[in-house]
Amino acid sequence: MKSGSNLEKVILSGQPAVTAELGPPMSADGHEVIKKAKELKGFCDAANITDCQTAVVRISSIAAAVLALREGLEPVMQMTCRDRNRIAIQADLLGAAALGLKNCLCLAGDHQVFSAAGRLKGHPGAKNVYDVDTCQLVGILKKMRDEGLQEGGDKLEVAPKFFIGASWTPMGDPIDIRPMNLLKKVNAGADFIQTQGIYDIELFRAQMAKIVNMGLHERTAILGGIIVPKSAMMLKYMDSSVAGVSVPKALIDRMNKAKEAAGDDKKKARELQEAEGIKLSIELIHQVLETPGIKGVHIQAIEWESAIEGIVKAAGLYPRPAFAE
Amino acid sequence: MIVGSQKSIDEIWDMIKGFKKVLVFGCNTCVAICHAGGEKEAETIATLLRMRAAQEGKDIAVDFSSVMRHCEPEYFEPVMEDLKKYDLILSTACGVGVNFLSDRTGTIPVYPGVNTSFYGAVESPGNFVELCAGCGNCILHLTGGICPIARCSKTLMNGPCGGTNKGKCEISKDVDCAWYLIVERMKKLGTLEKLAEIQPARNWSTSRDGGPRRVSLEHIRAYEEKEAANTDSAGGKK
Amino acid sequence: MAAESAIKMKGTHLQRVAALKETRPYSPCRAACPVNTDVQAYVGLIAQGRYNEAFEVIRSVNPVASVCSLICHHPCERACRRCSIDEPLAVRPLKRFALEQASEYRRDRRALVEKTRDRSIGIIGSGPAGLTAANDLADLGYKVTVYDRHPALGGMLVSAIPAYRLPREALKEDIDDVIAKGVEVKTNCEIGRDISMKELSEKHDAILIAVGLSLSRSLNIPGVEGPGVMLAIPFLEDVAFDRKPDLGKKVLVIGGGNVAMDVARSARRLGVKNVEMVCLEGPDEMPAWKWEVEEATEEDIKIHHRWGPKSVVREGAKVKGLEVVKVLSVFDSERRFSPTFDQNQTTVIGADTIIITIGQMANVSFLKDTQVRIDDRGRVVWDPKTQMTGAKGVFVSGEVVTGPGAAIQAAASGHRSALAIHLYLQGESIEGKLPTYEKEKISDMPADVASKIGREPRMKLRHLPPKVRCESFVQFESGYDEKTALTEAGRCRGCGGGAVVDAKKCMACLTCQRVCPYGAPVVSAWSEIRPEFCQACGLCAPECPGQAISMVSYDVREIRDTMASIVGAVEPKRPDPVIVAFLCMRHMGTSGFSLPDNVRKVPVHCTSRIDIIDILKAFECGADGVAVVRCSTETCKYKGIEDRVSARVDRAKQLIGMLGMEAGRLEIMNSDSGAENPYSGVCAGFSGKIKQMGLRTNK
Repeated sequence: MKSGSNLEKVILSGQPAVTAELGPPMSADGHEVIKKAKELKGFCDAANITDCQTAVVRISSIAAAVLALREGLEPVMQMTCRDRNRIAIQADLLGAAALGLKNCLCLAGDHQVFSAAGRLKGHPGAKNVYDVDTCQLVGILKKMRDEGLQEGGDKLEVAPKFFIGASWTPMGDPIDIRPMNLLKKVNAGADFIQTQGIYDIELFRAQMAKIVNMGLHERTAILGGIIVPKSAMMLKYMDSSVAGVSVPKALIDRMNKAKEAAGDDKKKARELQEAEGIKLSIELIHQVLETPGIKGVHIQAIEWESAIEGIVKAAGLYPRPAFAE
Repeated sequence: MIVGSQKSIDEIWDMIKGFKKVLVFGCNTCVAICHAGGEKEAETIATLLRMRAAQEGKDIAVDFSSVMRHCEPEYFEPVMEDLKKYDLILSTACGVGVNFLSDRTGTIPVYPGVNTSFYGAVESPGNFVELCAGCGNCILHLTGGICPIARCSKTLMNGPCGGTNKGKCEISKDVDCAWYLIVERMKKLGTLEKLAEIQPARNWSTSRDGGPRRVSLEHIRAYEEKEAANTDSAGGKK
Repeated sequence: MAAESAIKMKGTHLQRVAALKETRPYSPCRAACPVNTDVQAYVGLIAQGRYNEAFEVIRSVNPVASVCSLICHHPCERACRRCSIDEPLAVRPLKRFALEQASEYRRDRRALVEKTRDRSIGIIGSGPAGLTAANDLADLGYKVTVYDRHPALGGMLVSAIPAYRLPREALKEDIDDVIAKGVEVKTNCEIGRDISMKELSEKHDAILIAVGLSLSRSLNIPGVEGPGVMLAIPFLEDVAFDRKPDLGKKVLVIGGGNVAMDVARSARRLGVKNVEMVCLEGPDEMPAWKWEVEEATEEDIKIHHRWGPKSVVREGAKVKGLEVVKVLSVFDSERRFSPTFDQNQTTVIGADTIIITIGQMANVSFLKDTQVRIDDRGRVVWDPKTQMTGAKGVFVSGEVVTGPGAAIQAAASGHRSALAIHLYLQGESIEGKLPTYEKEKISDMPADVASKIGREPRMKLRHLPPKVRCESFVQFESGYDEKTALTEAGRCRGCGGGAVVDAKKCMACLTCQRVCPYGAPVVSAWSEIRPEFCQACGLCAPECPGQAISMVSYDVREIRDTMASIVGAVEPKRPDPVIVAFLCMRHMGTSGFSLPDNVRKVPVHCTSRIDIIDILKAFECGADGVAVVRCSTETCKYKGIEDRVSARVDRAKQLIGMLGMEAGRLEIMNSDSGAENPYSGVCAGFSGKIKQMGLRTNK
């Protein structure tokens, strides 16, 4: 055991792992975190606590992760390269470990221009850091954990023991480089991988075949990403605008059909689409889990954490395995 | 070359409106090439400022002139006396020129008329692109000649992030993804496999992060210093 | 007002570009001119309606400008690079036009030149060589006396060139220019008869012999002596001074040169219906200018080609005709004049009067017993390197030593002699200091450039119908009217007047290379704009970020520097807005220049030469509105400039917007240049719009 986290245990047990996502609020309201943690608790093996996703200022991943942990939900803290240099990153990692956090997902982080979206002003004028990139960050975590050394080489009396994760966009552009991209993360020390949301299962399986061929599925646990769609509009948006995500037309048509069935009733349209989205997600979970080389799913119900329970149950992934301490 | 862009007339006006005799001082190299601060732009700015002064009923004399480069003292030494006739010099050189001149004009302030943007190339007329960040430790041989430090929004060293969309960067449809370009280029070069090697965390001390930088060529400096010493002792050849 | 101030600035402007021009190859027209008249410069000024300045350019090197404007053989036209596109520019008629337009200005500017040097020069002969030398020496402050055996000045110009080609009033303008400087004139004064060379030597510090070739050569054939056979020069002198010779019903002119043409055509004008010519040469071999032959033919003058005179056939004393013998060849294998005849083929051409025009020679009998040496063929011995004869202080000039030539060639010789005399009187060596007028010229137009240039027919001159013109000695050629002249001037490609780079300011940025429609600039360490490619559009200069490019013919700063005087005072309570209109002068026509009073016009060679700063300057000087008015795409002299000019106007709109000014105060407008008054309508419309928008005010 590298970290002794629940997630690590589930993966080691060979059962399909389920992770979910918890977005901390844009205010100092810890109760919001607690509320969401309660919604997720028991329905996933661990939940990602996002690190100011889309570069929007929120309760920090570490702090929210600790709040979740107190609620009995195992967190996967996220660490982006955007906001901290290697000094801050390592300091935070030491603190996180000291507070009992055991999983850490390494990310580049969305660019700060994303923070000014919709009605949000955000901080597009912020200075970004990117002192290290994801691959290097994974390497730093591994070096701290396995060698007991800081990046600079100074010794750590007590090393932080993280189950190290990294993100992967299997169908991102340029697609030829994506398997190598994963290889580098695995070589750097990624214990588990959470992928970008998958809708185009055929393409995903083609990429996974390459990964299996490279033997990477044996060296890391790949959890396929599921983004629970709420509406036809959301699917269309993701297809056109979200990098590395393509949504087959058939899926969009299904959602449209659900929407149209409600006629002019907007409330009903929303309900029907949400129901269809959940149904669709369950199908995707099955398809992903049936894909060779896959060790679990990472289900993101963005600002809709309450949906997780139903999905996990309907997908036959409930109850989640439990391990003695 | 160094690429810059002109400041707005409003901003410049706010800088100069308290002065009586202003020289808009152009630099005829990099900033001229990017149509920001050569003699032509210096004259344009001077004309606009005079018009603005007339609009505001202020009595400000605004002239223009230029030299080939602001970053070597020999170029502006011949006009140094002329510069001293003004109570403000609005330099349309890059920041280098403004600094360099400012160090040499005593009590006369030197203000910037141009925003210095980056080191870039003229991709096509009127299109200037950043291609180097001056990090002080070039790795272009590893990346197919395309710099991820200057051209990747996140200065990623080990491949693209998940934000690449149809070859473009996540920050804008108008910005190429450097890693997309690198991959395509290295495919052509047949060196794609080189990318599998993990680039370790960089030592940024050669970059701006290491503090103000200086390049000293010992073989030239040693000679110059010796010459200076010789001429001093000989009674001032200089 | 604008024109006046521009004339005041002329000196500086011309001076500014003159030095630059010397460093460059000349335009072919200028290089071809025996005095290097800057043709391209004055044609450019004509096109802008700046006639007085055009006159200055012409007169600065040519004291017989009016003469040349009428009778010059215009080598400039043959050199014109338009020849490879369509037809050469009509330079001579344009010169005539400019001089006619500037005649009042010309008279007003005549002034005495102060005699600053206490030395005097006697000039014998007042033809183009003598006049030119007198002009130059007077300008230098010398006392100059001109002697001429004729009652009027002008030498051959007055005594031998018939008035239908050169009206005496035109010649008088040239002479008056020179005389006005304070030159003393002694007419009816023949050296050796009325005053001796010795007296002349005592009276003057230097003497210039510029007597030309005043004697006609005769033929040594049987029957030549006696009544009914005349020589060209005495005949032409009779014509010139209105001594009507009796010619009978049929005149036969022997000779095929230009003088023969003058003689034959004068005879027609004396009422002789039947004038014929006989010459050794075939139609393509004749030395006369082609157009002279054509005009003579129009006037029913018959030419017998390839016959040589054998004898004058007389019936008693009376001439009955000329016996001629067939010419087999005129030139030998080395193109030397060496006629051969077939003595078996003869005929007789009937005539009452025969006039021999087979060449002239100098009358230098007055130089006998002087130190001036004459060789055994009767020619003055001289040194072309110093223009001096064997006698110290005695110089020569013109045809007397150069042999027959054109007026402008004699003028060139006159310039050389004047400078030689000046150097001599200063005690300086002469050799190597006299102008050669041989300058490097811009080479031929590259084919790809020529292909980009539109065909434009040369503006035709109108001639009186042959019947009418043969009735008197009235000038038969009409000059251009203003519209025609401006159109013709617009055909000039401005060779040699194009862009030139100041290497000290050029940072080799490639802007000019990218901008040029003709591929003229080549940028290496700095930009070099190849003159043979450059069409002088001026598109590059306003784009140059280092302001390193000037136009040789036209300084790019000129508009900016003169803008304040062009705009003038802007009254706070003006009833109408002040509009500055930049007008493409292309096909602008006469009326193009007449615009409403509140419109200040700035004629530009092409709108491509307008700089953003020029536009801003107009606003700075107080304009309420600025109009850029260009000719249409079809008539544009250059191809593909519109978009760049529009881009500049758009940028200028942005810039004035930064000062809170409405973009509508600046407008780019097209006008059909073929219209009668192309620009006044659009300018008036624009002015109305600006009036509605309101006048500009400052705090």
